[in-house]
Amino acid sequence: MAEEKKGRAVATSTAAKIPKFVRGNLSATLKAKEEGKKVAAAFIADGQDEIMRAMDIVPAWGESFSGVCAAKRDAEKYLQKAESDNFSRSLCTYATCNIGFDMMREELGGATPEGAPWGGMGRPDMMLGNGQLLCDPRFKWPQATQHYQQDVPVFVTNMYYPPWDPNADHHEQEAIYVKYATEELRETVKFCEKITGKKMDWDRLAATVELSDKTWDLFIDTYELRKHIPTPMDTGDAMNTMVPLTFNLGTQEAYDFYVDLNAELKQKIADGVGVANPEKYRIIWAAGLPSWFALGDFQYFNGKGVVFPVEVTYRGCEKIERLDLPKTNDPLEHIAWRWVRYWTHWYDAAKKRPGSTPKVERIIEYIEDYKCDGAVFHSAFSCRSWHAGIMQQAATLKKVYKDIPILIMEGDIVDISSYNEADTHNRIDAFIETLAAYKKRQG
Amino acid sequence: MDYFAGVDIGSTMTKVVIVSDRIEVSLIGPTGPEHRKLANRVMEEALDKARLTFEDLTYIVATGYGRINVPFADRQITEITCHAKGLHSLLPSVKTVVDIGGQDSKGIKIVNGKVMNFVMNDKCAAGTGRFLEIIADSLGVPLEKIGEISLTAEKIAAVSSTCTVFAEQEIISRLASGEPIANLLAGIHDAVATRVSSLVKKLNVEADIAVTGGGAKNIGLVRALESKFGRALLVPPEPLITGALGAALMGKDIFAKYMAEGQKPTRSVNKLEEATFFE
Amino acid sequence: MTDIRDGNGLAAAEKLYTQYGSRARELKASGKKVIGYLSALGPVEIMTAAGVLPIRLKGNVSEAISKGDAYMETIVCPFVRNVFDLAVKGKYDFLDGMVLPHQCDSIDRTNETWSYTLGLPYWHFLNVPHVTDDPSIAFMKEILRIFIRTLEKFTGKAITDQAIADAVTAHNNNRKLMRELYDLRKSNPPLISGSEMMKVLVAAMSIPVEESSALIEAVTKEVKERKPAAANPKAKRIMLIGDQIDDVAVIEAIESTGAYLVMDDLSTGSKMYWQDVDATADPVQGIAERYLRKLKIPTTFVGSADTYQGILEERFGHMKKYVNEFKVDGAILFIYKYCDPYGFEVPAIKSYVEAAGAPVLYLEDEYSTSSLARVKTRIEAFLEMIA
Repeated sequence: MAEEKKGRAVATSTAAKIPKFVRGNLSATLKAKEEGKKVAAAFIADGQDEIMRAMDIVPAWGESFSGVCAAKRDAEKYLQKAESDNFSRSLCTYATCNIGFDMMREELGGATPEGAPWGGMGRPDMMLGNGQLLCDPRFKWPQATQHYQQDVPVFVTNMYYPPWDPNADHHEQEAIYVKYATEELRETVKFCEKITGKKMDWDRLAATVELSDKTWDLFIDTYELRKHIPTPMDTGDAMNTMVPLTFNLGTQEAYDFYVDLNAELKQKIADGVGVANPEKYRIIWAAGLPSWFALGDFQYFNGKGVVFPVEVTYRGCEKIERLDLPKTNDPLEHIAWRWVRYWTHWYDAAKKRPGSTPKVERIIEYIEDYKCDGAVFHSAFSCRSWHAGIMQQAATLKKVYKDIPILIMEGDIVDISSYNEADTHNRIDAFIETLAAYKKRQG
Repeated sequence: MDYFAGVDIGSTMTKVVIVSDRIEVSLIGPTGPEHRKLANRVMEEALDKARLTFEDLTYIVATGYGRINVPFADRQITEITCHAKGLHSLLPSVKTVVDIGGQDSKGIKIVNGKVMNFVMNDKCAAGTGRFLEIIADSLGVPLEKIGEISLTAEKIAAVSSTCTVFAEQEIISRLASGEPIANLLAGIHDAVATRVSSLVKKLNVEADIAVTGGGAKNIGLVRALESKFGRALLVPPEPLITGALGAALMGKDIFAKYMAEGQKPTRSVNKLEEATFFE
Repeated sequence: MTDIRDGNGLAAAEKLYTQYGSRARELKASGKKVIGYLSALGPVEIMTAAGVLPIRLKGNVSEAISKGDAYMETIVCPFVRNVFDLAVKGKYDFLDGMVLPHQCDSIDRTNETWSYTLGLPYWHFLNVPHVTDDPSIAFMKEILRIFIRTLEKFTGKAITDQAIADAVTAHNNNRKLMRELYDLRKSNPPLISGSEMMKVLVAAMSIPVEESSALIEAVTKEVKERKPAAANPKAKRIMLIGDQIDDVAVIEAIESTGAYLVMDDLSTGSKMYWQDVDATADPVQGIAERYLRKLKIPTTFVGSADTYQGILEERFGHMKKYVNEFKVDGAILFIYKYCDPYGFEVPAIKSYVEAAGAPVLYLEDEYSTSSLARVKTRIEAFLEMIA
């Protein structure tokens, strides 16, 4: 997902390795058949990574593919194809971009449509959907795709966690949710065994889970280096460096990537190299997926001395010790505990601050730890999952914490027709003026 | 001799056609807000031109956006059915109709002379005549010339915004940066053609394909559509009247059915009254 | 409470439809607690057993959103936004609380926006799962029990298994009565119009179950006594498919053309009334099974059959039944903009229902009458097409 445009002057050289990861993931789906492996259309951050990796199932990440199409500004033809069979333009554009591509591939008898970015994605042998508390497309999208790929079975794992309720003690409900998630993961294993014709190697799964735990820890340790002033890496890069954690969790390559990134950031700190020089304002990217075709906007910010040392988006993990996970020999139960504890990690803090919510507590924690002066939220019109509720978060943040400068940007993740560069830059400029005034008031 | 009239009140133009066993007369006038008054006036003009009186008419069908405001019509039928009927009578080989009006665009699939399926865009200016009108206005080019100028372009200066308002901004700033007007015009024709063709492709597009409505008179738009559909498109001789023609022909059919059943159709009015807007 | 005497069932329904929530207000004034809910997933049996009045919330398609946008994003489902707007404006100020079932993103991602903005004494998010396997039924029972405990805490009264079983009986009876009213739509022409039916459906979802049953019975009696009219042989029999349609506007757009609206697959209509709760030893078991497995909604994933055709039958087979039982000539699929759960199903529903013998018109619209003229043109063109 790295930009194709001119290289960023202060981009980490480790981040430059990301296109290889992304391409590698795509080409793995195209090579899978000849390597005797099964391909599963899958969705990120759903707790199913280790199961796939331990069974040598090659994930076909639709979200990665549509991100690539968007970054190359080449998603329109797929969106139109989906629209031609009555998929509304107001639906998740990650999904409709992929469905359009899949429809074209099906019409070609399985051959890759011409001009597919980076060679396109291979036809899956199965689809692993997920019902969770985040995103309906994660089970509606594979279900809709099956209309065009009728021989490809779809399985949906339901991964829930206790919902936030200021009047309830979520700890009382944890056991129910962990039991449920564990059973759902077990059903997922059964499905994968059926499709692959192979039995799960439970020792291998345990080792994969151990590796992903280590990767979570290393990721956080590395990202916490960005607390340094000046920050050695900002969100513009993080939208790339998140790839191994998000798409390659449970692999040695993902872990090794963060070893390299960690070393590079330490070096930059030692050399006093920051993303912006001078660094005038530090901002948290508080919520929202970026416009993949407009990652250059981060450079626009940097050019004005504004850096993003921390973001909530795609930071889908926490240090294992902070989650205080009960010991278990069952790797599926471990995944379930890690899932439930991660998603409820900020509930206790929210209970301590009347009127707050866990999402806001997370933002506050990062604002304090990374010394931020303001917050930016990005609202994408086709993604209710990540973007409904942003206004409420911003209002709550101001109410229970501080009246800090907040910018809510609007656009979309894939559909460039909603983006207006001049307008976006104007909003950014106005926000920077607000920051200046705020900092002046602080003295 | 029986005479049948079709009145098509569109958002920008009002059309009347009177047929017997051939087209007697067709008339086009601008639509204003006072549909009823206007419908009366245009009907009177058409009757004058055909040298007929209102009492000579056997059956009247109204269609179009303002069809409910034609008090002297005996029946109201949607423009989808009427466009298909009219077009089919002029170009019987056509299976797909692309209609681009001032404020909407539609696709109609015709099988055996009947509407099989249809799609409409009437929510969004992009992909309608209005989009072209707005851009022509900002560029200071007469609307009737934008098509031919667009054909002189060296290349298509693609417009990325599909929203009319943003597209206008985009085009102005490209013009200021020195982009030739012809290229920009080619770009907006391409944009409208893209929008319209992707709407129409929701139907199972089959040849022959025809273009109707005001958009059909824009040669630049017709060529742009031809490149989207990958084939030549048919354009009826007077593309604005297909709806009114179809309405008149529907009236003829309805009357014939009544006669076959041994009945006389009820007429809505006997005289053409002067109607005011607030009736 | 409007006295339901002989001959005024429809009049009573009309009043409850037009003055939505009026009965809830009366009961609140006399000491009853009122809990609002969204969607067909609201477990009314449990709320009835708790002794509260459950009221299914609706918006107002004729009222533009004017206050809600300050709190809730415009990319949220237009129906959810409209109801929220009414709530912010105080139209539901008689509520003691709300329960939001986890139906879709537009509901679960705005849960805090609702609860924090309205600040009601009682709030519950019912975490209904998206799949129907055995672990999910077990989980569903757990979360229903959590819900029961919060209601007990709120009302200060224990909710016994017997109370739940009694509520199940009452609601099953209510459903049976409504299905009998639906039967009167099978004739040609139907004895009750689509508009009248919508008013009864809306009225029924806003009053206590025993009053709802009395209302339905009164309407059925009144309608049965009508002299059957001569059918217009050209009139088409239409089925309306969608989620929350709760106003006569679209129905009048259909019926004013001369077509008959004879059946629906709406979350305010047949989805509420077509499946009963089994009387299981543990009453919560039957409730879990009905709401998770028997109720067919797009946000509950169903896909266990071995073939794709089998999966389509699992998901949409009931629509084919309706086409046959109610002699449906055409279906209108009316989906709100920004609705992922329904939006992703459009190609599958369209092809399934057309294969079942009814051409389908797919309309995407707002939850608003502002675009009604455009909708009407499409409906008219569709009816002309299938004539």
